[in-house]
Amino acid sequence: MVKRLVATFLRGGIHPDPHKEATRDLPVVDFPASLQVTLPLIQHLGAPAVPLVKKGDVVRRGQKIADSPDSGAPLHATISGKVKNIDRHPHPTLAISQAIVIARSAEEPLVEEEWIEDPNWQECPPAEILARVREAGIVGLGGAAFPTWRKLTLPPDARVDVLVLNGAECEPFLTSDFRLMVERPREVLEGALVIARAIDVYDVRIGIESDKGEALERMGAELRRLPASPVEISLVSCATRYPQGAEKQLVQATTGRLVPLRCLPSAVGVLVQNVATAAAVREAVRFRRPLMDLTVCVTGPGVMQPRNVRAPIGTQLQELVDFCGGSREGTSRVIAGGPMMGRSLPRLDVPLVKGMNGLVLLTGPSPYTGGYDACVHCGRCLEACPLGLEPDQVGVYVEAGRQVETETFGALDCYECGCCTYACPSHRPLVQFMQVAKSAVRRSQAAKVLKG
Amino acid sequence: MSATRPLILSPGPHLHSVESTSRIMWWVNGSLAPAVAWGAFVFGPRVLLTILGSIAGAVVAESLAARMLRRPASVGDGSAVCTGLLLSLTLPPLVPWWIAFLGGAFGILLGKMIFGGLGFNLFNPAMVGRAFLMASFPLPMTAGWAAPRPWFGAPLDAVTTPTPLTTLREHGLSAAMQSLSGHGGPWNSLLMGFRSGSIGEVSMVLIALGAAVMLVRGIIRLTIPLSVMAGLAAVTAFSGAPGLHLLSGGLWLGAFYIATDYVTSPSTQGGRIAFGLLVGVLTGVIRMFGGYPEGICYAVLLGNAMVPAFNLWFRPHRRVLAGSPS
Ligand code: SF4
Ligand code: SF4
Repeated sequence: MVKRLVATFLRGGIHPDPHKEATRDLPVVDFPASLQVTLPLIQHLGAPAVPLVKKGDVVRRGQKIADSPDSGAPLHATISGKVKNIDRHPHPTLAISQAIVIARSAEEPLVEEEWIEDPNWQECPPAEILARVREAGIVGLGGAAFPTWRKLTLPPDARVDVLVLNGAECEPFLTSDFRLMVERPREVLEGALVIARAIDVYDVRIGIESDKGEALERMGAELRRLPASPVEISLVSCATRYPQGAEKQLVQATTGRLVPLRCLPSAVGVLVQNVATAAAVREAVRFRRPLMDLTVCVTGPGVMQPRNVRAPIGTQLQELVDFCGGSREGTSRVIAGGPMMGRSLPRLDVPLVKGMNGLVLLTGPSPYTGGYDACVHCGRCLEACPLGLEPDQVGVYVEAGRQVETETFGALDCYECGCCTYACPSHRPLVQFMQVAKSAVRRSQAAKVLKG
Repeated sequence: MSATRPLILSPGPHLHSVESTSRIMWWVNGSLAPAVAWGAFVFGPRVLLTILGSIAGAVVAESLAARMLRRPASVGDGSAVCTGLLLSLTLPPLVPWWIAFLGGAFGILLGKMIFGGLGFNLFNPAMVGRAFLMASFPLPMTAGWAAPRPWFGAPLDAVTTPTPLTTLREHGLSAAMQSLSGHGGPWNSLLMGFRSGSIGEVSMVLIALGAAVMLVRGIIRLTIPLSVMAGLAAVTAFSGAPGLHLLSGGLWLGAFYIATDYVTSPSTQGGRIAFGLLVGVLTGVIRMFGGYPEGICYAVLLGNAMVPAFNLWFRPHRRVLAGSPS
């Protein structure tokens, strides 16, 4: 069923220039097979994975080369070749981490494991779905990179009755999810059915921002072709407004339910998954194919030819930029992820890791270069905050050295969406004030617990 | 990448709206240009000298204070110009330029800079300056009401004439309306500004135009102005002349430009409503029972004093435990 209502979250939010025109109409192109990939053993939060191969081993694309001892996810070779070394390598967010480097020579053909379709994939029992998702090393591809099998393992007391798929892609510049929905809608929908089966839910809602009309159309057309099933999938056209794709906001937009602060959507019976994650889950369950490639939107004013690129995990970011014609003179910042919540990188000789869906090259000075001024109490940050927090007060308290007193202004609730900083005419780094306050409050609470 | 220069590492978000404090201030100043021009037409070009005097006082005081306090020069951000401009627009047209200069300088020094500059002041600096002038130069401040140009093309008379609100106070409503019955009739002269009053307040239409510019650009919201008007209307409803009260005495200038000053008004929506109502009610009370026919100046200053309390009493509503599985 296609629902064409314009839904939205109700409080706060901003309307940054979407900047999507550079890549929205460009089909995803495959990155020509690399000769070397660097696969960090840390791809997400948690303990590093343990290598299952050693230097000199010959591996095939898709072979499991490391596994996590605890609650993480395994790692797979993304090209075939020889393990060149297992050593410390630059990491995009952690500065440095252990990584497995696989290299091959240009003459060798790329050898991939064989993927055989499971004819009964649609009847796959929930426990088996979770096992295959874990085995495939899938993590949240919207940027969070939280192991998906753990997210799908609901706490015993949770009663989840709605699955929300996140196709909002509210971050400016990025178009990788949009292209996925336009080019491979079937995979997203089948992935949604598999996830719904895994968590025993019959109501699936896919939230897509209303400016992505083509995605809504393609998904809607494919939805009508889907064989009848007890699971009802609806498309919800959401207002184009940042942060529409934040979990709490998307849940409100698609289901009308309000997720309490400091709670997960499961508190109101909802599970949220990104559309790209859903497509990866389908591969894992239907073909037992692990997560090997990511669709990255390489874009921004600093890129010669912005593109949507599908590249193996472990590809050097520099190679991706070169594939897109190189960077322009004056490129000053490289952002992994979207420009609102992504992280700026100090270098490009780092590998692509799971969960990275964008690489945005920006020119010109950062918004903080000119310093910042005193709060003029204009109230814009209060209007912009989707959670109703008071970043203005937190900023003033932090500047006065009284950050431990900020819990009442919401220091612990901030999810760092950046709306407040974006809106502040005094260019105050409000997200950073929030971070300082949050850790100070946490520390003082921990100290109290220890004392009492 | 041609690694000619190092990449900048900065915290997110990496995009910022184009708005900045100084941009906002200059838009506010610019939106007052029509009212300035109209004031010069209705009361004669000499009021421009008063306006410039007040702006000069504010700017000189701000740069001297910044230098003395070893703070970065802040004149360029336009807020001192804004203070001087707003102060001068609330002055009677016959106030000499040097008095306006003193008012602007005093307002900036004691209304803003001693608190630490923009963002730290409790009271609206323009109104601090005006209160200072009322106390120090009561005669020009209460009797300097020049007779307006009676209609387009008509020459200016060099006489003074009481404002409609003074007449209302001393001789009642019919006399006040009588004083307004110029060429266009009372309502016309209130809206178009062919009447006596302060330099900038006389044309409601042009103040509304400037306010519309600020509203469209998202600089102000309607919350405070509407609350001020509601508060004043409530108090003056039974005085027989709520319309006259709402359309004169610098109310629109006060409601749209002075009470909405970011620094000295609450930043939460609820706080803004309470603040606006308080300012409106106080204006009405001062006009009807107090010693000043205009009243908005002291009402704003008293309201300013309550702002920190309003910010704490009216916090944004946070849904901590709302919503449940349906
Ligand atoms: S970063 Fe935190 S305080 Fe700022 S708008 Fe987002 S949630 Fe609110
Ligand atoms: S947006 Fe900036 S200047 Fe305005 S109230 Fe918030 S912190 Fe203060």
